[in-house]
Amino acid sequence: MALEVESRPAVNGVTVLAPTGRLDVAGAPALREAIGEAVKSGPNKVVIDMEGVSFVDSTGLGSVIAALKQIRSSQGELRLAAPNQQVRVVLELTTLDRVFPYYATVEEALTGF
Amino acid sequence: MRPPKQFEFRASFFDLDEGLDTLHESVERLRRATGRGAEDRELMLFETALGEIGSNVLTHGRPAGSTRPIEYALRLAGGTVVASLTDSGPPVHEHLAREMPHHESEDGRGLAMARSLLDDLGYERDGDVNRWRLVKRL
Repeated sequence: MALEVESRPAVNGVTVLAPTGRLDVAGAPALREAIGEAVKSGPNKVVIDMEGVSFVDSTGLGSVIAALKQIRSSQGELRLAAPNQQVRVVLELTTLDRVFPYYATVEEALTGF
Repeated sequence: MRPPKQFEFRASFFDLDEGLDTLHESVERLRRATGRGAEDRELMLFETALGEIGSNVLTHGRPAGSTRPIEYALRLAGGTVVASLTDSGPPVHEHLAREMPHHESEDGRGLAMARSLLDDLGYERDGDVNRWRLVKRL
């Protein structure tokens, strides 16, 4: 099941990326590519809408960490929105929830961004 | 009708996408067979660990030139779920005790995650294959 990533046009300087499927060792390259495209030509504020992500593994998580480093290197910011229970458990287990404060909805993530 | 207390699934695969799909499909079949929902936390934790070991096996357990598939079995008996994976990759003893890496690291979390999510993570080198055994009480 390939990961598909929708890139929504930037509004108020924030790009929203919406992956759908499993963000795992097979799906991570698609997210890396989409984030690379988003920060290359657009604003460096990105929200990843995780609502469509059914499952994440450590490689998928690695692609999000890579994105965070890439975006922060250009003084940008990355926020995660709407992670499901499995994604939240993985973030907490790896203590990456301290690095990625996550928001219940995309609207909440966009507030004050 | 009460859900069955036993379940068994077997498969062999070679391709990364096919292998990952098969692992997740097997857990989904276990959910359906035992009347567990997607929100069942223990099974979700097991599936997360299975995804980690499965992706390691599919990534490193298929040496160039090898035509030997990865063998997989999933069983539920007595309230305990056990997954077995056999691959023909190189030995991995030196990676087994790896700790959770620093926040900025982009890899190296898989085995540490699996260890903490399971009741037991077994590994043995048997001749020229690796045998993995993932155990969790549900």
